[in-house]
Amino acid sequence: MQAQDALIRELAVIVGTGSVLYREEDLISYECDGYVIHKQPPRAVVFPATTEEVSQVVKLLHRRKIPFIPRGAGTGLSGGAAPLGGEVIISLVKMKKLLHVDWENRLAVVQPGFVNLKLTNSVASKGYYYAPDPSSQYACTIGGNVAENAGGAHCLKYGVTTNHVLGMELVLANGEIVEIGGVPDAPGYDLMGLLTGSEGTLAIVTKITVRILKNPEDKKTVLAYFDSVEDASHAVSDIIAIGIVPAALEMMDKTAIEGVEAGNYPVGHPPGLQALLLIEVDGISAGIEDQIEEILKVCKQRNVIQVKVAENEQERAQWWANRKTAFPAMGAISPDYLVQDGVIPRSRLPEVLEKVEEISKRSGLRIANVFHAGDGNLHPLILFDARKPGETELAARVGSEVLKVCADVGGSITGEHGVGIEKQEEMRFIFTEEEIQAQTQIRSVFNPENLLNPDKLFPKPSRCAEVRKAVGHL
Amino acid sequence: MSIQVKDYPESQTKSNYLWEDPPDEDKFSACVHCGMCLESCPTYLETGHEHQSPRGRVHLIKAVAQGRIELNAGFEDPIFTCLDCRACETACPSGVKVGSLIEQARGQIRKSIPLTGWKAAVSKFFLRGVFPHPHRLHTLGNLIKLYQKSGMQTLARGMGLLKMMPQHLQNMEAVMPEVKVPVRKKYPEVAPAEGRRKMRVALLTGCVMDVMFGDINEATIRVLVRNGYEVVIPRNQRCCGALHVHAGDRDEGKRLARQNIDAFLAAGVDKIVVNAAGCGCALKEYPELLHSDPEYGQKAVEFAGKIEDVAVFLMNHGYQKPQGTVRTRVTYHDACHLAHGQGVRREPRELLRDIPGVEMVEMPYADRCCGSAGIYNITNPDMAGKVLDEKMSYVPEDVELISMGNPGCMLQMAIGVRKHGRSAKVVHTIQLLDRAYQAEGESGK
Amino acid sequence: MVLTALDQLFAEEQIQVVPGEFHPLGNNGQWIAYPDSEKQISTILQYANEHGLKVVPMGGGTKRGFGGTEEQADLLLSLSRHRGIVEYSKGDLTITVKAGTTMKEIGDYLKMNKQMLPIDPAWPEFATIGGVVAANDSGPKRLRYGSARDLLIGLRLIYPNGQVIRTGGKVVKNVAGYDMNKLFVGSMGTLAVISELTLKLRPCPAYKSLAILAFPDGDWQAIRSFATAILDSQIEPVSLEVLSPSLNERLHGMREYGLVIAFEDVEKAVQYQVEWLKRHLPKNASLSVLSQDEADLWWDRFARISPKGAHPGSAEDQEIGLKVGSKNLDAIEVVSFCHQLGQELQAEVIVHGGAGHGISRAYVKGEESKLLPFVQAVRSHAESRGGYAVVQHAPLSLRQKVDVWGEKPAYFPLLEGIKRTVDPHSVLNPKRFIGGI
Repeated sequence: MQAQDALIRELAVIVGTGSVLYREEDLISYECDGYVIHKQPPRAVVFPATTEEVSQVVKLLHRRKIPFIPRGAGTGLSGGAAPLGGEVIISLVKMKKLLHVDWENRLAVVQPGFVNLKLTNSVASKGYYYAPDPSSQYACTIGGNVAENAGGAHCLKYGVTTNHVLGMELVLANGEIVEIGGVPDAPGYDLMGLLTGSEGTLAIVTKITVRILKNPEDKKTVLAYFDSVEDASHAVSDIIAIGIVPAALEMMDKTAIEGVEAGNYPVGHPPGLQALLLIEVDGISAGIEDQIEEILKVCKQRNVIQVKVAENEQERAQWWANRKTAFPAMGAISPDYLVQDGVIPRSRLPEVLEKVEEISKRSGLRIANVFHAGDGNLHPLILFDARKPGETELAARVGSEVLKVCADVGGSITGEHGVGIEKQEEMRFIFTEEEIQAQTQIRSVFNPENLLNPDKLFPKPSRCAEVRKAVGHL
Repeated sequence: MSIQVKDYPESQTKSNYLWEDPPDEDKFSACVHCGMCLESCPTYLETGHEHQSPRGRVHLIKAVAQGRIELNAGFEDPIFTCLDCRACETACPSGVKVGSLIEQARGQIRKSIPLTGWKAAVSKFFLRGVFPHPHRLHTLGNLIKLYQKSGMQTLARGMGLLKMMPQHLQNMEAVMPEVKVPVRKKYPEVAPAEGRRKMRVALLTGCVMDVMFGDINEATIRVLVRNGYEVVIPRNQRCCGALHVHAGDRDEGKRLARQNIDAFLAAGVDKIVVNAAGCGCALKEYPELLHSDPEYGQKAVEFAGKIEDVAVFLMNHGYQKPQGTVRTRVTYHDACHLAHGQGVRREPRELLRDIPGVEMVEMPYADRCCGSAGIYNITNPDMAGKVLDEKMSYVPEDVELISMGNPGCMLQMAIGVRKHGRSAKVVHTIQLLDRAYQAEGESGK
Repeated sequence: MVLTALDQLFAEEQIQVVPGEFHPLGNNGQWIAYPDSEKQISTILQYANEHGLKVVPMGGGTKRGFGGTEEQADLLLSLSRHRGIVEYSKGDLTITVKAGTTMKEIGDYLKMNKQMLPIDPAWPEFATIGGVVAANDSGPKRLRYGSARDLLIGLRLIYPNGQVIRTGGKVVKNVAGYDMNKLFVGSMGTLAVISELTLKLRPCPAYKSLAILAFPDGDWQAIRSFATAILDSQIEPVSLEVLSPSLNERLHGMREYGLVIAFEDVEKAVQYQVEWLKRHLPKNASLSVLSQDEADLWWDRFARISPKGAHPGSAEDQEIGLKVGSKNLDAIEVVSFCHQLGQELQAEVIVHGGAGHGISRAYVKGEESKLLPFVQAVRSHAESRGGYAVVQHAPLSLRQKVDVWGEKPAYFPLLEGIKRTVDPHSVLNPKRFIGGI
């Protein structure tokens, strides 16, 4: 039907007819990403294969004032790559090459569509890896990771994406191609830092230079079972307090354990647990045994029921597969779920979990808690059934309440999933109108016409701000 | 607080699946759209298109159920481009049964959009006319045999007649194994065990398998008998119906399933041994296919409980490690319907490692589809070819044999070997084991 | 007097006229203000913004010779009274401090709690955390611990219009909105005045050792191959810093290239790694190992090798300091290049560079006629390899002759756009930053 559409024709001239989707049935698959509550189809999906093509496509859309959204694998959990309706999606999945590895300087150059885990697989033969490891790393792209400043289980010790990006090639909102970074502390404002986590609202990243790390000499993984969430939380604080920086420190509660055991990667955790911790320590072999001893001691002091160290890589991998598929495994015990991503000071864990439990009881929706306990990043999974009228809205409301609890203890509304569409309004839990404006002003420098992933990330300007402006004080 | 929810509640819409046996709502609502399946999907890797991915297809299947899109060509394309390789089921954290959703959707599509033209003719000829009827298939086999034996093959190849066929058919013709006498003609209905009888089992001889790969069936029988199993070859068995279900012809698939259930249950065996991954998977899924059948639903469960792949069967019920040596370097290809469909990965590898002289070289991405996928390489030759090229790039350079447990894969991998100018030979795992037993005789005396 | 309005709001000693002496480093003010609260900073900036005054924020004054071509602005805004620890959460490994707090104060405070802020800039007893972050200073240990951008999690800023703007937060992981913190790291105080900072901490390592290797024949290629071997091994050095012979001589009494490898971990792990070094020690290289307090003392000395800028009138005002950014391993070549260049020019040069992080620093004493060619030669060397050279300390007279930041990048309009958006009247640190921002 829309083949006559001049826009589609012009896009096809740039990328070829096989690289533009415009039929209704084809577009419907692009109406959402990993966040499924909001669905609107794009106007078209275009698949550039080179930076030059991205630039041409952007120039065309810029000229025609048509909004556009960069998209990777579409595994994002906040709707960052989902259309609000009518945007052109620029899919970067065809730009999926590993361009270069510089072993001596420990860096790799990838195209944005290159899948996260593939980087580790590609450098593993020489004993290297790429540190940020979001749970979706089997599928998510590094371009998407940059847009969301993705974290992962191991960022407790190794940091998130922004700590690993060394350089970028960008296509700006007007189609101009620029390169930033490349060497540390490049003179000028830290645009790379600003771009990372900007959720595709400032520029389209077309090439990324990242740090690769040498595998640690040794790693040990501990699984500890508790019959109270409180004991498990205290164990987390104690481990940090004795001066250990684990590579990962993960926690799951009762409902989460039920989910992962029903999912495709069960471990065989004993029934009736209230919480489990998955703790990993890595580094110089000679120092690890002692740290493990200390961790075991802490767990025992906190009434652990059972605690064990993975005996081999296979067991370790099984524990991690179980943990990393925890979100979608909820599909096995509930038709739908909404994952939240609050962050709290880790010392406030027990009190926050209690409040989350209260919210769950009050709403009648089950909440499973999976989280990066070491850095206080909570992932409450709100289980619901979209087929029941009103339950989707209820789930979204419950999610928002949970974030309010996080914000009220001095935390954040998102630790790694981004704001996207989902948490736009919740931005007000942590930022004032002026602070949000300070950010949208920066957006205007890069994206003055709000064409690039428009109307995401920030709440709509509030009425009181308009009133204030009108009155003219402050 | 404003909560932005923009979705399409089912309650307000009406399903566009109008025939019985539609895609199961519980199955598609288990998909949470996480995308973990994307990188496992050969067609997504090839196209990068979301609607050519497992998640995208399930999303479309759901959209039709919600009445948001029609059962039309735009829906048909991605659903039929699926290889049904089930790699996504291995990857899926929430256990979505993508394979059966696809098959159910295909059933609806074929009712709504029947095939027309030559596709319809070819499909009808093979799916309804040949595969279900062993004697017709054998007759066709005999014709091929005649073609091969009479010198016509040589003539045809010499005259360049084949050049007129599409490239993939030329390739297929080139690697087509020599048609053998089917075991159903060659063997009595019961092949007695050597030594003390441990168990009575039935063998699914398969339709194409028995005509094209009769020697694999023979090897299977020899191996089973050698290990003390009495092998029944039920005369009334039919094609397993996998190809029909894949193609959306569920009615014919169900008919074949009922015939097989009758034939095998009547044989009074403890286990039914299968040496073709695709067939094994289909037989195990009879309960799902016949779930609404009041008469056969329960029988299908009993039947499916007896199905075992030959490698698994040998591991579970015991076999003698061969003493004969087969000195060779082997890599193993996981047939989709073994690895993803039945979760069988360890047993065939162990069998191979048990053979003295065999050096195993693991293939990276061993469980990536080869593009055979039933008759996919005939219906979707372009995509099948691309998937095959990808697969061949992972086959280690220095192996002499590529072992696997599925005849469809064997044919496709043989095409790949030829197309890419490689020297490795394609072999069924059980043939290698058989060879090792044969070698015992040679070296032992 | 323009400041009359302010005079009424502040105690007398909080706003003073700067004595009319010429300051060799420039970046001076007609007046100097010592606000002791965020409110006061806000009042001053709002006033300046409304009255078209130019303001130079200052911490301990150690970066006074860094950037800027003006001798004086209207107002020097000292944060020396805006100091102290606001909030320390030991269990969360975070601290919130006021910008005028010195690095040493923070370090001493945390040490009592067996934690540390792992930034190792020059002159920690003078340098304030606000200044270190604004100038993005760092030391050799960034190899393992990262630099300010990796540790900063939240800011309270005073925008030029007087608004208090928070960026980031107080939790260690946070992607809500843009990562605005990053904009202010290394922004040279051109966007806003930092009032408070929240930073990530680490537990103090249980044990520390410092291995100093000396390479007698001065063969930097030998250093390079050994550094490569270390980076490709699984040992986990905290620093891998190459010292020029002149610097090694100053710190260690040996006029040979040095390679300073620090280990900070549990004792067994540190010992193991020192043993590893001994086992793999290149021929001809000598090794000496300092541990625990001795190692700390060595680092203290190391932090005092650069001109500190804080005491005008001293000879070091005439020195220059260069910061060179390169690919990691190129730092070794940068050190050797600067060293040799010093010999050619007969200037006194000390250099060090991080083989694992790509930042090198060179400090040069000599006549101005030698300093300029030094800067130019180092810059073209760095740029030819995709890097840069920035003059991080120089007297005003020299800064007026050489562009301390180098050429504007192709994306300069974005930088300019950011400045214009945040500080439209160019109140803060005019002409202090790249391209005259």
